Amino acid sequence: MRDAWVVVALLAAATAAGLLLDRYASLTSVAMLYVLAVAIASYAVRLPASIACALGAVALLNFFFIPPHFTFRVDAQENVVTLVALLCVAVVISQLGTAMRRQAEAARLNELRALQLEQLATELASATFPAEILLLCQRFLSRAFAGPCLAGLLRVDGRLELPADTPPAIREGLQAAVDDGRALGAGTERWPDLDTWFLPLASEGHIGGGACVRNPPADDGSRQHAQAICALAGQALWRVKLRGSIQAAEKESQWHQAQNTFLAAISHDFRTPLAAIVAAASSLQTQGDRLAEPERQRLLAMVVDEVGYLSTLTENTLQLARLENAGEVQLDWQSIEEIVGSVLSRVRQRDPRRRIQSRVPSGLPLIKADPVLLAQLLENLLDNALKYSEDAIELVVGAQGGTLQLEVRDRGEGIAPGDEQAIFRPYRRSDHAGRRGAGLGLAVCRAISNAHGGELLVRPRADGGSSFVLRLPVEAVQPAGEPA
Amino acid sequence: MSLRILIVEDDREIRSLLQSSLALEGFEVQTAVSVSEARALLDHAAPDALLLDLGLPDGDGMDLVREIRTRKAMPILVVSARHQEKEKVRLLDSGADDYLTKPFGVPELLARLRVAMRHRGTALASARLVHDREDLHVDLEARQVTVDSRPVHLTPTEFKLLARLVRSAGKVVTHRQLLAEVWGPEYTDHTHYLRLYMAQLRAKIERDPAEPRHLLTETGVGYRLAAD
Repeated sequence: MRDAWVVVALLAAATAAGLLLDRYASLTSVAMLYVLAVAIASYAVRLPASIACALGAVALLNFFFIPPHFTFRVDAQENVVTLVALLCVAVVISQLGTAMRRQAEAARLNELRALQLEQLATELASATFPAEILLLCQRFLSRAFAGPCLAGLLRVDGRLELPADTPPAIREGLQAAVDDGRALGAGTERWPDLDTWFLPLASEGHIGGGACVRNPPADDGSRQHAQAICALAGQALWRVKLRGSIQAAEKESQWHQAQNTFLAAISHDFRTPLAAIVAAASSLQTQGDRLAEPERQRLLAMVVDEVGYLSTLTENTLQLARLENAGEVQLDWQSIEEIVGSVLSRVRQRDPRRRIQSRVPSGLPLIKADPVLLAQLLENLLDNALKYSEDAIELVVGAQGGTLQLEVRDRGEGIAPGDEQAIFRPYRRSDHAGRRGAGLGLAVCRAISNAHGGELLVRPRADGGSSFVLRLPVEAVQPAGEPA
Repeated sequence: MSLRILIVEDDREIRSLLQSSLALEGFEVQTAVSVSEARALLDHAAPDALLLDLGLPDGDGMDLVREIRTRKAMPILVVSARHQEKEKVRLLDSGADDYLTKPFGVPELLARLRVAMRHRGTALASARLVHDREDLHVDLEARQVTVDSRPVHLTPTEFKLLARLVRSAGKVVTHRQLLAEVWGPEYTDHTHYLRLYMAQLRAKIERDPAEPRHLLTETGVGYRLAAD
């Protein structure tokens, strides 16, 4: 319809101009006006309208300007030639113009598509999840084609993951394209009569999913564009998959490494006490009758001590593994006074001289904590202090600002400068003149502190010895007491 | 007549060790390796106390504890490893009397057993009304609490809390049990009530609240009023 109006307008304009100039210009000049109109029409409208314009131009020239005027009769032979020449020129121009217009349109479309592919590639480069890639693929297909368009990921079992309301025909078509690894449907070699393209999201034979475009345009160029979009998405999916396997492989190798370190440390830490137990027990078994009573008691005490050590070591090992794997711990309102009290009642059994002196002020705020873990932390610190020092040990608790601080101070040999961080690492022992190291104790302490959002560090004391400081965050809002 | 104890433990070594240690102390010991065997023995042998290990091969000790509690008042001691903390508390809540954490020594086992057996006679009879230990004296009927013969004034909630512990003196009472019985069943999640009120009680009763001698904390489980 638009074409018809354009043709009418052009011809009317040419006729009007011709009528105005008729008195001053020759017939050839007026014919040129019509040629101009036909040339413009050939570029602006489709071929049939353009041909109609050419015929109209000839008819109008004949009617208005070739004598006798206002009839379709042609008297002079010369004017017949003019009319035929105009007709030929007009038809040729229309065809040339239309072809040019098509080429220009195709060039514009190609440019637009190249731009789209470039944009898609850029956006895919920053995508990290398959779902993200799928969404981009679907969005770009919908932008390029009227659609509707749909895309789905390939699951491990070889089936496509599609929305539940996907029609069975679409589902089957997509699955077939993915299984075949090539495009199916409209205009392709397989099922060319369908009104849908089924395209695999593939890159070098690795298929990550499939996409379809319903009611697609008929030309090959459009399908190639859709295939290019799908290929980019397929490439991105493959890249993400590769990255995932690389990370998994790295993780596994790290895990194996950690496992080896762990096993080496465990076998070392466990063998020493086991050797002592076997020695003492076998001595009691075979030489029991010949040993003096005090010696028998000494060997028995050794067995009990070593077993105690093994049991602590086992507990710490398991706790560390649990803390590393469990992630979050369950926190509830706890009173630090209670935790200190229960730990002291246990540790006192190993502190007959009552070397530990505690200072716990009343009215401390409650903290969010796992009491069993905190008790274990404190018990480890106190046991270490008992083991590595001979003098008084201070346990000082205090609250300041938003922090609760627990400090265990000893007068032992202290930590060698530069070792302040290393002592908290698992599987590393600071060997103190023949005494057995804390093994995993401090690593467990640090893991527990971290799980509570706290901070555990060691500081040297002015007159010798170490001070282990645990800082725990205190919630600004304390729980309300009982309703009145 | 000696007391009969049923040990339910699936590890052979530990079972035989417990058996010989307890036999040496004059107990008559029976053993079971599974929940089903324990059930059979409970019906036929009528033991006086039960030592129940967690993590048995054929099912949940919890059902067993519930079953026993519907019929018998015998003491039940739960034996657990540290990582079975939650299950242990569940069993205590459903009626077990006390627990031991592995590894434990024989003296500790005997001490716990003695406390549990002492309660055996009183569990069904009228509740304990008087608690006397070292400097602490509690008379529930007269609602009197004295430390070193000096009267201590307690608020009604503090008194209710202390009274509940006195009735189970020597035994662990779980957080859940205390909250349900002192504040009401809908308060079993309000553990901070316990933290606040126990702190007040310790401040009034203990000489050094940070190292209590009477109101003992069983970390992650509950509280225990120390008994001789």
